[in-house]
Amino acid sequence: MEFSRSISLKRLTMTPIEQLTFLLRAVPITLSISLLSFLLGLTLGIIFSFIRIYGIAPLRYIADGYEKVFRSVPVLSIMFLLYFGLGGYIPIFKDSYLTSVIALGLVSGANQSQIFRSSIGSIGRSQMLAATSLGLSSFKALRHVILPQALFLAVPGLGSEIALLIKDSSYSFIIGVLELMKHTDILRAATRSLVFPYIASALIYVALTFPLATYLDKWGSKKKRELGL
Amino acid sequence: MLFLLDFSDFLLNGFLTTLQVTLVGVGLGIILGILAALGDIYGGKIVKIIVNVYVEFFRGSPLIAQLFLIYFTLPVLTGLKLDVITVGYLTLALNSGAYQKGYLKGAMEAVFKDQFLAALSLGLPLRKILMYVVVPQSLRIVIPAWSNELASMAKSTTALIVIGVREFLNTGVSITAQTFKPLETYLFITIVYFIWIYSMLKILDIIYNRVKIPGLEPVI
Repeated sequence: MEFSRSISLKRLTMTPIEQLTFLLRAVPITLSISLLSFLLGLTLGIIFSFIRIYGIAPLRYIADGYEKVFRSVPVLSIMFLLYFGLGGYIPIFKDSYLTSVIALGLVSGANQSQIFRSSIGSIGRSQMLAATSLGLSSFKALRHVILPQALFLAVPGLGSEIALLIKDSSYSFIIGVLELMKHTDILRAATRSLVFPYIASALIYVALTFPLATYLDKWGSKKKRELGL
Repeated sequence: MLFLLDFSDFLLNGFLTTLQVTLVGVGLGIILGILAALGDIYGGKIVKIIVNVYVEFFRGSPLIAQLFLIYFTLPVLTGLKLDVITVGYLTLALNSGAYQKGYLKGAMEAVFKDQFLAALSLGLPLRKILMYVVVPQSLRIVIPAWSNELASMAKSTTALIVIGVREFLNTGVSITAQTFKPLETYLFITIVYFIWIYSMLKILDIIYNRVKIPGLEPVI
């Protein structure tokens, strides 16, 4: 294999526990990339879904275009475009960590905009009309009537979105962020073992994403029943 | 962006590789997905466990990790040596099959409840019920989910860069290394990805509207 690329010339012997600790040390980085890009996507998703449903015509086209473009483009090609293409001009894209957060966040914003649109859609326009006829301003109706319900309905979708981001954060390994996949690569080079690092890191990813997908899905449908939606 | 004309053959080859890997991955994934869904609905206890472990593993871990596992770890464990493009096909098929199992199972259960019993009472054997009643209808119901899957597979093929497949984004890496013009190169590649994936989604939408079954709306 590619021994010339390994970081040390001498082969390290590590116990499985030591190797596992080394991999687990990268988990906070992976989680922080996913969480920050999720929050960026959440902000963008709420804003753009509201614009698409309640906004005026020119803004609506912009929101529509944003959603279409970022749902149809690979996140890695956006990362390359920002990091290699714009890194020379815009200082923030010189940092591979921030670049991955922004690229993942932009893509996630488009996904989350769609999640919110469908959950707001299933609450329906009738509640908005009812709220405004009671004398609430349309902003207050959104804030107190539509959004609290839409957030509950969106929970299962948002859960799988976080899981998707945890998995997609592995793309940032390619532009050199020291996250779980990069630690796996370093461990592979140091121990020259092709078996343990890869199996262990794949299982760590499964352990991180599995509870999100199953638990939030159950919680979401329970809440939905309680609210009578 | 005119300098990219010098690389038109190179870019076209890369794009065709990406197209090929996407279609083979989703195509084999459909077969795996149908088998896994049938196994999960009609199979015995052990079959169900195997199907669910396969699905949870391939849905829960990133594609890059799966590529490394099949490219590096599998040969060590089994002695089976595969070239990069085969690893690409195999991994994408396994990954896509795990996702498609979910969509297909939902669609099959939508058909399953009443029509399965109706077909059974007409005296059709299980094999024929699956072949003529359950599978054909669920394939039509599942189209919207599939168009999502096709788009996400097309986007995932960029991960093949880590094992060195010459796909579309990887040609951009080589062009950048020669021309030192990353902005134009990656902008062009991103635009091509957008046009391709967006038009694919539109076409499948048109097909779905033509063949959809009234009353049996999408399962996503």
